[in-house]
Amino acid sequence: MDDEKKNILTVSEYAEQLRKRSQPVSEHEPGLLARVPIIEKILNFCRANSLWPLTFGLSCCALEMMAAGMARFDIARYGAEVFRPSPRQADLMIVAGTVNKKMADTVVMLYEQMLAPKWVIALGNCAISGGPFAGEDNYFVVEGVDRLIPVDVYVPGCPPRPEGLIEGILLLQEKITGTRHPFPQTKHS
Amino acid sequence: MYDKDLIIYCAICVCAGLGSIAAVFPFVLARLVRPATRIHPRTLQSYECGNLPFGQSWDFRHGIAFYIYALIFLAFEVDILYLFPVALAFGDVAPVRGVLLLGGFVFMLACGLAYAWCTGVFTWTTRKKIY
Repeated sequence: MDDEKKNILTVSEYAEQLRKRSQPVSEHEPGLLARVPIIEKILNFCRANSLWPLTFGLSCCALEMMAAGMARFDIARYGAEVFRPSPRQADLMIVAGTVNKKMADTVVMLYEQMLAPKWVIALGNCAISGGPFAGEDNYFVVEGVDRLIPVDVYVPGCPPRPEGLIEGILLLQEKITGTRHPFPQTKHS
Repeated sequence: MYDKDLIIYCAICVCAGLGSIAAVFPFVLARLVRPATRIHPRTLQSYECGNLPFGQSWDFRHGIAFYIYALIFLAFEVDILYLFPVALAFGDVAPVRGVLLLGGFVFMLACGLAYAWCTGVFTWTTRKKIY
């Protein structure tokens, strides 16, 4: 029994393999205009206020993501409502849910195929650390999507409420521009 | 008379120039403002919904009927295109000559259509499975 167990590639080893395989092969320098500080600032402002997320719900947190897109929570107020079905058009990946071993390669592939600049939000405990599935007997759940791809913002919760996702997006905007989103509806007293 | 025509051609040149600028400018702008980009092994892969693409495009057999359809469409498109200047200058020539020339032009294209019809372009061949 123990010998059998040894032969199975553990999830963390598998994730490590995937991450090694997806290392960048080449890098492009930023364009000439993009190096000018003021233009970079303007570009970052535009990027932060028009984040296009990838339609990518892995499990139950995706329902909260959908709720955040609907009228009551209305993520459109922060410019992030255009959920795109193709990674070529998206610049924000919201990993909403459990990343299984079977899905891990697809997650990495979609991340690779997204156009730069790209950001990742890990939504929910499963995407952050494996959540309730993390444990010694776990053979199929990647314990945290940051084992596969770099994550910018972690939104904890099981699942997090839509306000949590909105706060995550505001934090991401803060990370991109360096300042909090200046429009009045985001000023929390 | 000729100078006036040249001025009209100048307008065409300006339009062509603006068109080429409109085509090239987005690429130049994108190159200028692009962010630092990392190319991963599968970044430039042809996209297929998160699956690995397989096969080559020439493994797939396209029906030749589409090609002939396109050719016939092109013939009629050219027909319509050349009838616009005819309609503009129709009042300037003698009526019999105009009608004869127009009829000859349309007749020649109609011959092409009749030939295509006779060779059976418009009967849609059912697809055969090739193993």
